[in-house]
Amino acid sequence: MTEYPILPEEAQEALKIVEQTVRQMRHAVVRGGMSHFLLLWGIVWVLGFGSTHFLGIGSPQSRTVWLVLTVLGIIVSMLIGWRLSDRVRSVWFGPAVGFFWLTWLIYTSLIVFFAKPQTGIQTSLLISLFAMFGYVTSGIFYRSVFLSGFGVLITVLIIIGYLFLPAWFNLWMAALGGGSLIAAGLYMRYAWR
Amino acid sequence: MARFDETIHQPVRLRIIAALNALPEGAQLDFGTLREMLEVTDGNLATHLRRLEEEGYITVEKTFVGRHPRTYIALTPKGRWAFAEHVQALQEILANDKSKPESG
Repeated sequence: MTEYPILPEEAQEALKIVEQTVRQMRHAVVRGGMSHFLLLWGIVWVLGFGSTHFLGIGSPQSRTVWLVLTVLGIIVSMLIGWRLSDRVRSVWFGPAVGFFWLTWLIYTSLIVFFAKPQTGIQTSLLISLFAMFGYVTSGIFYRSVFLSGFGVLITVLIIIGYLFLPAWFNLWMAALGGGSLIAAGLYMRYAWR
Repeated sequence: MARFDETIHQPVRLRIIAALNALPEGAQLDFGTLREMLEVTDGNLATHLRRLEEEGYITVEKTFVGRHPRTYIALTPKGRWAFAEHVQALQEILANDKSKPESG
């Protein structure tokens, strides 16, 4: 019979430690990589969709607000990405995340440009759905059920708002879409410690 | 039977290796991030890292990011293999215990 150096209870305890640490590490990577972006883009959505509701869909003021917010959002995202890249260094991991979102941005812009949505709400719907596609696929990439599940939940909210509350769609997106992004970012920051 | 590893089995070292193993192959983790996650002191972490480095399970690289000194830790292929073996040994211990007939 084989002699083991430790008791089965100790082995079980060690496996539990391994499982907890792996979960903690994944949370740390996802939290570090995503919570800042969720908070940032949550604020962008609240301000962007909120201003569209109050300034009027397609109005020059609302377009200007979106343009400024999007450019600022991209610049701050790049700064956050650069700042975070010194926590985990990897030949392919960091650049892969950056290229993923760059590809996402290019393809979303191309599709919206060529699909020519007929109304401002349809444009908002398309961009929001693509944003959630980005979150769901990021969740798969990071192996985070929370992130993917969160993306699916917001997608459902977007579709409900579009189908049943078209007159309030932008306010709905500001409050529930942007609010949920902020809530998820805060949850990751403080609950996943 | 898979190899039970006494070096890895120490709780702090087990957590260090498990954390590094959860990262993509070749990725390096910042010392401060690891210390924060494990909630250990600088000295304690440094001692365990030295031991793992001596075994060839990890590499420690000291560098500068801007003007700030930074230390990065990465799991070596030998460390990844030893960790996989150790986890398998733990699972075997449990499986063996479950397959034993109940006494009493």
